[in-house]
Amino acid sequence: MKKQILTLSLIAGMAFGSMAQSEKYVSAMTEITSGIQQVQGKGFLPFANKMERIAAAEANEWLPNYWAAYCYINESFTTEKTADKDLLLDKAEGFLVKAESLAKDNDELEVVKAQYAMARVSVDPMSRWQKYGANFQSALAKAEKLNPANPRIFYTQGLNTFYTPEGFGGGKSKAKPIFEKAAGLFEKQSPANAYSPAWGKGETQYFLQQCN
Amino acid sequence: MKKLFTIFFMCVGMAVQAQTKVSGTVSDDKGEPLPFANVALEGTYDGASADVNGKYEFTTDEKGQKLLSVTMVGFEAVKKSVTLEGSAVEVNFKMKELINTLNAVVVSAGMFEASDEKKAVMMKPLDIVTTAGGNADITSVMQLLPGSNRVGEREGLFVRGGSSSETKTVIDGMIVQNPYFSSTPDVPQRGRFDPFMFKGTAFSTGGYSAQYGQALSSVLLLNTQDKQGSNSSTTLSANLVSGAITHTHKGWLTGSLYYSNISPLLKVATNSFNFEKVPQGLGAVVSVNEVLKNKATLKVFGTLSDNKSAIWLPSYDAINSKYLFDNKNFNTFNHAHYRQTYKDGIWVLQAGASYSRNNDNLALSGAGFQRKDERTQGRLVMSRLYGNNNSSTLNFGTEVHHINVSNRYNEFEMKMTDNYSAVFVESETYLSKDLALRIGARGEYTSVLDRFNVAPRISMAYKTGEYSQVSVAGGRFYQNPEKEYLYMNKALDFEIADHYIANFQRIKSGKTFRTEIFYKKYDQLVTEKTETFDPNPYRFPTGMTSNNGYGYARGFDVFLRDQKSLKNGDVWVTYSFLDTERYFRNYSKSVMPYFASKHNMSVVYKQFLTSITTNVGLTYSYSSPRPVYAPGNDLQEPVFTKPYHNVSFMASKIRQRPNNFLVFYVIVDNILNRNNVFGYRFSQDGSQKYAVNAPMRRMLLFGATFTFGKLNGRSKEAELDF
Repeated sequence: MKKQILTLSLIAGMAFGSMAQSEKYVSAMTEITSGIQQVQGKGFLPFANKMERIAAAEANEWLPNYWAAYCYINESFTTEKTADKDLLLDKAEGFLVKAESLAKDNDELEVVKAQYAMARVSVDPMSRWQKYGANFQSALAKAEKLNPANPRIFYTQGLNTFYTPEGFGGGKSKAKPIFEKAAGLFEKQSPANAYSPAWGKGETQYFLQQCN
Repeated sequence: MKKLFTIFFMCVGMAVQAQTKVSGTVSDDKGEPLPFANVALEGTYDGASADVNGKYEFTTDEKGQKLLSVTMVGFEAVKKSVTLEGSAVEVNFKMKELINTLNAVVVSAGMFEASDEKKAVMMKPLDIVTTAGGNADITSVMQLLPGSNRVGEREGLFVRGGSSSETKTVIDGMIVQNPYFSSTPDVPQRGRFDPFMFKGTAFSTGGYSAQYGQALSSVLLLNTQDKQGSNSSTTLSANLVSGAITHTHKGWLTGSLYYSNISPLLKVATNSFNFEKVPQGLGAVVSVNEVLKNKATLKVFGTLSDNKSAIWLPSYDAINSKYLFDNKNFNTFNHAHYRQTYKDGIWVLQAGASYSRNNDNLALSGAGFQRKDERTQGRLVMSRLYGNNNSSTLNFGTEVHHINVSNRYNEFEMKMTDNYSAVFVESETYLSKDLALRIGARGEYTSVLDRFNVAPRISMAYKTGEYSQVSVAGGRFYQNPEKEYLYMNKALDFEIADHYIANFQRIKSGKTFRTEIFYKKYDQLVTEKTETFDPNPYRFPTGMTSNNGYGYARGFDVFLRDQKSLKNGDVWVTYSFLDTERYFRNYSKSVMPYFASKHNMSVVYKQFLTSITTNVGLTYSYSSPRPVYAPGNDLQEPVFTKPYHNVSFMASKIRQRPNNFLVFYVIVDNILNRNNVFGYRFSQDGSQKYAVNAPMRRMLLFGATFTFGKLNGRSKEAELDF
């Protein structure tokens, strides 16, 4: 009897221990993720740092790597010096590679990979379209194959179309139906938890207005 | 109650005791603070970002010996051991900046690069196809760059007082034996290669790396495209001189067929060509571009072409006398390149092999004349990366060539076989991000001369500011005498050039300034003793030859480019000054060679018109008069040609749809229809002088390219508009 109690309490203790860690993970992730989604313009780096620490401590979690990459990519969009942009994107690339090794065939990761390609292009559009343009399209195509209901695929696609000149098959009128599709899917999205990717809804609404 | 308080305080006490405050500063090695550096207690979530003053602070529940690490974009990570036992700990970090392509100095002396991948380059590959006056021909665009002399009547690059045979074209490390379509006297030919094939072009005007040899003046290094995506597409293209179909299968296999015939062009543009058979050609290109499982890359490229033409050329014997120059040319160039990395990329192996053959079946007024050449080559290069962020490189390698050339005139045949081999070793060391040193040596043996040489090369670069740098280069360069001399005399020695170059460049947000001064000393140039002087550049040597020649070339050039001041506009200005003299070939003393001009200048302007998605460009180029030596008993004072002026225009428009795109382009060369004189030819007795002009003055060329199927990203052609 005594032994049984001991065993039970041990199991409980272990469960509690791991749960406690998981709780720590959940609360840290939830807090940082909500912080990331409130950043306007610059200011992603402190969150990227936090995510990087969690990514290092939780060697089997892909989401901290995903968010760290997301932060660096978005920081690069607001950075002025092109050399600095590329350094940030080099860093993002490391997290993307890590995340992919932990979560194969993940639609959210493919979307961020597309975003990453777009960021690389924006540093030097003229000469980078060839390489990263191809990566952008193939990442989004893969994401759509994996989960056609992911609204961020269409938000990202719409954004690209929005900024592509009309002469090259882009423009507002072409972007509008894509944003509309994204908006519809955002209404139905149900993130797995508080720190899963859910970004893009507000931005989609903003660009939809711009298309009118 | 008291007991409860005790417990409460105990808990608080424990909590307080359990937490350790960690703080400090993060700075670079000069003591500048590094905001946003990420300090982390390894294996935990604990840590902090440095603030604007480089200060950080956090508390942790962890106990005992732990590793504290700091990471920062662009800096080398640092780890320090800390003991956490409740009392506050202060840990300060100094971080070392990583050397990367974005902040490092570049060994740039003598090098003019167009690359998408490298930083601090003057141009992008696209510039080659969007430059008016360049006619989408790599060599023609290089002629608009500093260091190059315009020679309107011949193909090839004449660099800093050097003849065109002193420039070698190199594709993925392989020497291209016949980079241009077969030479026709006084009718310049285009390059054989499509500029869209290459991801990078580096034009060296001197002081180049020990990896290359057999070029006294210059190397033009072309690197083929890497695999882009895995889609299939088909491209149809046609213009006034040719039509082509290209199909890419799943991104890795590309085949194209083309047919060229300049008849439509001759109908559109007035010209003085006198063709018996209008030039026409048939060609095929196959390329394989694959990334293998171990991330190794394999590129295979094969091309076959068959061209024929017959043209009446002036023979200068009597007024309006002519001879028929009939040429059937067969050319093949095949090359394979394999690249693999080992140990996380610190070792790089590159292996290549190539075979090329060129046959010119000439009939000169009916008399048969055959030119043949054949080159088989292999090349192996190992690179070891080392130092800060693997920024430094040690390259060593070898190349082996087997060359067969022959000239046959009726029953008279001249032959030459050469087994050429070379070894080279070169290190490019970054002593800091601001200082790089490249030292190399190349050893060559050539069987036709049965001689060895060892050529040292050295260059250095120092960053003088965030956007500016100086670079110097020097070295010795050897080249075998031209085959025409070797046919007659195999006891000749190498020709030699020593280069000294200093360069300053500044690239800041779309504005580029580059200037270079150079001194080049020639030695052991082949000279030929003749009874009288014959200025015909196409003559065959007949006199006694020796390595008695010498010469020099000195000067400077300036390149200015502004891609910022005009919205969607791009302007560049090039000026080169050259002072050169040489005693060589059949010259009897040291004079300015006939292909040299003192001043060369070009102004290139490109503008993208957003409203009609069209790119337009205008180029003006100028060369000062070139010397012409009249025939006679001795080399006389030269007469000079008129200066060369040319204004050309180019426009291209693209329509892009999701699965196809269309490009229209129009080129007008020599808009002002100026009659440029490239030199004079003389009658046998020297009494008559004939000007050499372009057979076609104003040239109009238009065409279209249509691609359908899934594109591997946006095609290169479609980017013409940006």
